[in-house]
Amino acid sequence: MTAQEYAFAVIAAVGSISAIAVVTARNVVHAALYLVVALLSVGATFLLLGAEFAGWVQILIYVGAIVILFLFGLMLTKAPIGRDTLDNTHRWVGLLVAAGVFAGLAFLIQDAFPLDAEPFEVFHGSTSVVGESMFRDFVLPFEAISFLLLAALIGAIVLARKDEGN
Amino acid sequence: MDWLDWLLLVARIVLVFFGLLISVLLYIWFERKVIADLQTRKGPMRAGPRGILVTLADGIKLFFKEGIVPTNADRRVYLLAPVLAMFPGFLAFSTIPFGTGTTLFGRKIPFQLVDLDIGILWVLAMTSIAVYGVVLAGWASGSNYPLLGAVRSTAQMISYEVAMGLSLVAVLMYSGHLSFSEIVAAQDRVWNVVPMFPAFVVYLICGIAETNRPPFDLAEAETELVAGFHTEYSGITFAMFFLGEYVSTVTVAAIGVTLFLGGWRGPAPDFLPALWPFLWFLLKVTLVIYLFVLIRGTLPRVRYDRLMAFGWKVLIPFGLVWVLITGAIVVLPAELELDRGTVLTWAAIALGATLLLSFLPIGRSQRREEVPR
Amino acid sequence: MGPHGSLVSVVAVGLSDYLPILLMAVLAIVFAVASLGASALLRPRRPNRPKLSAYESGNDPVRLPGGERFSVKFYVVAMLFIIFDIETIFLFPWAVTFRQLGLFGLIEMAIFIALVFVAYVYIWKKGGLDWSATPPELMDDEDSDEPAAAGEVSLGAR
Repeated sequence: MTAQEYAFAVIAAVGSISAIAVVTARNVVHAALYLVVALLSVGATFLLLGAEFAGWVQILIYVGAIVILFLFGLMLTKAPIGRDTLDNTHRWVGLLVAAGVFAGLAFLIQDAFPLDAEPFEVFHGSTSVVGESMFRDFVLPFEAISFLLLAALIGAIVLARKDEGN
Repeated sequence: MDWLDWLLLVARIVLVFFGLLISVLLYIWFERKVIADLQTRKGPMRAGPRGILVTLADGIKLFFKEGIVPTNADRRVYLLAPVLAMFPGFLAFSTIPFGTGTTLFGRKIPFQLVDLDIGILWVLAMTSIAVYGVVLAGWASGSNYPLLGAVRSTAQMISYEVAMGLSLVAVLMYSGHLSFSEIVAAQDRVWNVVPMFPAFVVYLICGIAETNRPPFDLAEAETELVAGFHTEYSGITFAMFFLGEYVSTVTVAAIGVTLFLGGWRGPAPDFLPALWPFLWFLLKVTLVIYLFVLIRGTLPRVRYDRLMAFGWKVLIPFGLVWVLITGAIVVLPAELELDRGTVLTWAAIALGATLLLSFLPIGRSQRREEVPR
Repeated sequence: MGPHGSLVSVVAVGLSDYLPILLMAVLAIVFAVASLGASALLRPRRPNRPKLSAYESGNDPVRLPGGERFSVKFYVVAMLFIIFDIETIFLFPWAVTFRQLGLFGLIEMAIFIALVFVAYVYIWKKGGLDWSATPPELMDDEDSDEPAAAGEVSLGAR
């Protein structure tokens, strides 16, 4: 095995174990922390593939923003101080959804990157390469994202408003 | 890499680590001395000459104090939080060039641990990880005051992170590189602080807010929320929060120097060519830290609602507009064959207009805030 | 090694960048754990119940008093942060390429920023950025200092 494959094995193991720990943890804040570890290992996988920009964006957005939002959500609703545990009884629904998502992703990935496919050209995912392709070839999708962000912002404020009106 | 490379690498890392630690010890002493000076006191005088060892004495004292883990606390997370609060500052510092480098045993030794291609993004990632120390400390303490303090600190840190990111983008646009060594290299004629002065101001303000330094330290001030997210911490765990905060401040100052003040650049005589850039770097970082201390010593603490309003209503729109203005300054002269003067004039007008707009009370609530409760 | 050879070397070069950072992280964590451990050995350990209780005048903190919750404003700030963070992230690849893109790139980004700015102004108008008691549409100009409004001060605004 090459050094890269060793690194991948370690990262994949850490990521998988923490992903399992996310769903088995009794305490939601612990679950959120395991989620951070899982997301960090996804970012590290990007780095392993040479996609430096994507890797750090993954960490910045998911670890730095989205899990923080989760934590805020937990503290705002139930404020689980100390050893309180939060759990629900929808295990089977969760299992069903997870299995569905897994099947869909497995199908899509197998479709796009079959195991016997040719190895890719070396792609060094530097920031300028990403910028070039995003702002020259994918202009319309990029502008569409701003609409998405607009909708998300307005949605956020509408949700919060309803809550305060009561 | 043979064993000598490894040895040199490890030696560099250890040197940088302990160099940062010592700089924090000196910084805290320096800060106490300057503030004492501002208040016409003498400040620490007993430990060492003119009290220079006071921080060391404090640290040793904290080492021997009883560490309390409250009954209600989540023990593992409670002990994890100070570690998380401590190390982002060290990691962020490892990408900063603090000199040109030298040659030792026939090997080139750069005065920079790593030169990441995505240097600036790395710094942002570290600031976002630093949030975890705060939020986990507050939650794991199992008490209401730390929790409130943590949520307030976190909201403050993430708000100012956005504006900080925008000021970094402006620098990036001007020099065209993400890596710190390239950014320093691009400042060979003019330091970035001259064309990018507004971004520099935004960066400094955000840097102070990110590290929870006064006047933005209300979430952990003794007079508010009984000291915020680290209320329950004592002994060595408290010392680690303290250390983390000061390491982050040194790192913020170092990043500011690298991005805006030319990094290690400065006039150097011919002898000892490796030494002068390092000294220039030290001097500039010290000056920025001196500025932080002056700000701490002279400005009153900001009220929380004003703090958030300032971040969201002034710094962020200003940062966005400044990004576009920078774009116009860089791109338009070449594209439209305008001279730089015209573009700069329009840029100044646009900037003034945003400044004015940000003072306008959009939405009636702003005026209402003035009513004392 | 075959077709993978070049890829592996590129990746190895990219990853070796992170070796010093990894070592630095290890050093920082070792330092932290060592000082925690050393302090645990050296310091006194005389716990008693009042000492270990939360810093709240001897009461056990259960929830926030009176079932009160944190202000929803914090949640709004976290959501706004995500949106603006994403916007900033998009600025990074643009900032390193916009010289080559020229005026086209500038206009492209101006449209992007303008659209998010629309949302920003909307939120501002709706009071999403205000950290005081009641949203502006629920109150008149004059009633600002009346007790009714003051009574609704959320925890976050204190």
